[in-house]
Amino acid sequence: MSFNRSMVQTSVFLILVLSVSSLAAAAFPAKQGFVNDYANVIDQKSRAEMQLLGEKLWTEQGIGLAVVTVATTAPMDPKEYTTALFNEWGVGGPEDSGLLMLLAVSEGAIEVEPGYGLEGALPDGLVGAVIDQEGLPHFKKQSYGPGLSAMVVAYANILAGEEFEIVEERDEARGWFVSFVIFILIFMMMRRGRRYPPGGSGGYGGGGPGRTVIVPRMPRGGGFGGGIGGGSRPSGGFGGGRSGGGGAGRRF
Amino acid sequence: MKKGVIVLIVIAVIAVALVSGVIGRYNQLVALEETVDGRWAQVENQLQRRADLIPNLVNTVRGYASHEEQVFADVAEARSRLLGAQTPEAQIQANQGLDTALGRLLAISEAYPELKADTSFIRLQDELAGTENRIATERMRFNESVQTWNTTIRQFPTNLLANLMGRQAKPFFEAAPSAMEVPRVEF
Repeated sequence: MSFNRSMVQTSVFLILVLSVSSLAAAAFPAKQGFVNDYANVIDQKSRAEMQLLGEKLWTEQGIGLAVVTVATTAPMDPKEYTTALFNEWGVGGPEDSGLLMLLAVSEGAIEVEPGYGLEGALPDGLVGAVIDQEGLPHFKKQSYGPGLSAMVVAYANILAGEEFEIVEERDEARGWFVSFVIFILIFMMMRRGRRYPPGGSGGYGGGGPGRTVIVPRMPRGGGFGGGIGGGSRPSGGFGGGRSGGGGAGRRF
Repeated sequence: MKKGVIVLIVIAVIAVALVSGVIGRYNQLVALEETVDGRWAQVENQLQRRADLIPNLVNTVRGYASHEEQVFADVAEARSRLLGAQTPEAQIQANQGLDTALGRLLAISEAYPELKADTSFIRLQDELAGTENRIATERMRFNESVQTWNTTIRQFPTNLLANLMGRQAKPFFEAAPSAMEVPRVEF
């Protein structure tokens, strides 16, 4: 009788312990690959672009990328959540060369955190500048996929050794004035050179106020399909990566 | 005679068990203390990193708000106190002083829209915010190791050995209320 009772007690205890530990594990979703769109806000095209770049970063440089969107990080603060998730997933493998980008929709938060191994290549100021210039203009229009994708492109270029040009002036009026002057100049040149067949002077236009950053895009087309459902491609770059909570974040 | 031998063997076995137990505990304590020290070194790294950022930050703010000399002097003094602090306790205290001084320095930026829009100021604020997040992370890891240490040296029988070694509970690194608010770059 007493033996039975202790058996029952032990099993109750075990069940409690197990359920507590599975609760703790369930606080974070299971990783799906380079792109983890739990909030369902990323369009197919952006997802495919990021997936490609994630694979490229992993196979060529051993850098683990994780793009994550969640509806909310409650009860945690987005930054705390990012650091905890980074270390839970071990983004970037044993070299600690991981990059986690987290977008929390209801908090309106974007947090980017490099692992210990990437802190040199991606100082916080640069991480923040990329958010400002590549991400925020999209996020403010609720266009999350293209914003995240533009940021991934910029970080991949930086990690490949390219310079990221930080826009000095955020003065909109001046930006418009400069575009206006350029437009007039081009217009005058077109009038002067009328004998040349028209069509040779495309290529201006665009260039929003004060933005001089031209980040080469990934070649479009090709590379779609595959990888979207996860599973069919290896999702490398996880396990053992650590971060110290650096990086930068914004609210939008 | 035979009985005496058996008694001797039993005593020897008990002695060996005791000694190896003591050695095991001793090694455990040494390893734990090393962990605490290692984690504290990480905290120090990040405190140092923050101290290194400050001259640049002050210079940038000074470019726009040169007459706020009192604030600059306070920050410089708090910084040198942190760099001069020897013990962890003194460093924690000096760090809190620096938190306060930095808070006032960053508050200045609110009054100067041009400073707020300056790219290098934004980058420095990112670096600062990132470093404070790092301090928070390393502080958490340090506190975890301190908790393990404190629990272990209070438990029987390790507490006897810890007393013998003259080891005591170590203080946690608690965040000052002002340091809880990490400065954020808002748009």
